Amino acid sequence: MAAGTPGEGKEPGSSLSAPASPADLAGADRGEVDARGELDGLDSLDDLMGGPDPRNPPVAAVPAQGLAPAYGPARARGRGYAAPELPAADPLRDRTVRSLGGHLARGAGELMITCGVIVVLFLCYQLWITDIFAARTQDQIRHDLTTAWAQHAVPKPARGGGADPRKRPSVPPVELGDGIAVLRVPRFGTDYAPVVVEGVSTADLRRGPGHFPGSAMPGEIGNFVVSGHRTTYGKPFSRVDELKVGDPIVVEVADRYFTYRVTRSEIVDPHRLDVTYPVPGHLGEAPTKARMTLTTCHPRFSAKSRLIVFAELDETRDKSDGPPPELTGG
Amino acid sequence: MYSWIFRHLPGPRQVRIPLAVLLALAVVAILLFLVFPLVESYLPATSVTVGD
Repeated sequence: MAAGTPGEGKEPGSSLSAPASPADLAGADRGEVDARGELDGLDSLDDLMGGPDPRNPPVAAVPAQGLAPAYGPARARGRGYAAPELPAADPLRDRTVRSLGGHLARGAGELMITCGVIVVLFLCYQLWITDIFAARTQDQIRHDLTTAWAQHAVPKPARGGGADPRKRPSVPPVELGDGIAVLRVPRFGTDYAPVVVEGVSTADLRRGPGHFPGSAMPGEIGNFVVSGHRTTYGKPFSRVDELKVGDPIVVEVADRYFTYRVTRSEIVDPHRLDVTYPVPGHLGEAPTKARMTLTTCHPRFSAKSRLIVFAELDETRDKSDGPPPELTGG
Repeated sequence: MYSWIFRHLPGPRQVRIPLAVLLALAVVAILLFLVFPLVESYLPATSVTVGD
C-alpha cells in the first residue's frame, strides 16, 4: 500500500477505483482469499507503479481494445498506439486457425459434393445408361437368335413334321442368358420386340426379360413365366401395368407365333412363388392349359410388391402362314 | 482434396488440365462399369422376380 499511496495521490480518480474494488471485495468476503488478493493486487500495483504515468494508458487501453470493435475505429485511431497492435497480432493467429479449420471445412465440403455427384451419377446410370447397355446387349442377342433361327428353322419342322405340332418343342435347349423368343405386345407399339432370355438371375435380367427356368416353354401346356425390369436395363416391362384383359401378347419362336391373351393382373407380395406354378396358385395341380405369366416390380422404382399379369394361349400360328393379324394391325 | 491432386499432377498447366479431365473420366468409367453394376445387385429396386 505504501507503493499505492503515491499513485493515489497523483491520480485519485482512476487509481482509487482499481485498488479499491479488490479491497472492498476482501473486506466483504473472506480473510484468507483477501490476503492473497491483496498481495496479488500489490504486486501488480508495484509493477504498475514502476511508471505511474504509463499505468494510465494500459488501463485506458484495455477498454479501448474492448470498445474499439463496438464503438468504431475512430477511438483506436485517435490513440495511435493501440491501432497498429490489433491488426498486427490478431490476423496472424486468425490465419493459422483459419488455415486448419478452412482445410477441414474445405475437405468436408469437397467430400460432400463428391458424394452428391456420385449419387446423381448413379441415378443417371440407372435411368439412362443401363438402357444403353441393355439396348446393345439386346441387339447382340437378337442377332444371335435370328441367326440360330435361320440355321435351325429348316431341319426342325422336318424332324417333328409327323408329330402333333402342339407337342413339338418350341425352343431348343439353351444356355442361361441365351435368347429363346421374341415378345411382341401390340399395345406397346410396333417397335416393342424384346428378346426373352433364359434365366432370371441378375445377370440374365440385365440382358432382357428372363424366362423362369423350369417353367413351361412358349406354347407348352403349363406356365410360361417371364420376369422383366420395369425400370433400368431397357425397362422392357415398364408399361405392363397398361395391359388390359383380352390384350394379345405374341411370343415368336423359330417356327411359330403364340398369341396369348391377358386374363387378369394382380399385385402380390414378392414372396408369392405360387404365381409361377403350372396352374398359378395351385401347387401340384396338373396343367391343362398353356398359360403365360409376366412378373415385374411394383410400384415403379420399388421392390415392395410385384405386378403379375396372367395370360392364356389363344392361337398358335406357323410362320409359313405369316404373322398373326394382331401384329399386322388386322 | 482436388487442389491437392491438381498440385501433384506433373507438368505445366497445359498438361495438367487434360490430365485432370482424363483422371475424372477414368473415375466415372470405373464407377459406371465396375462399381455401379456391383452395388446395384444389392439394392432392392431392381428385383422383379417372385420367390425368396
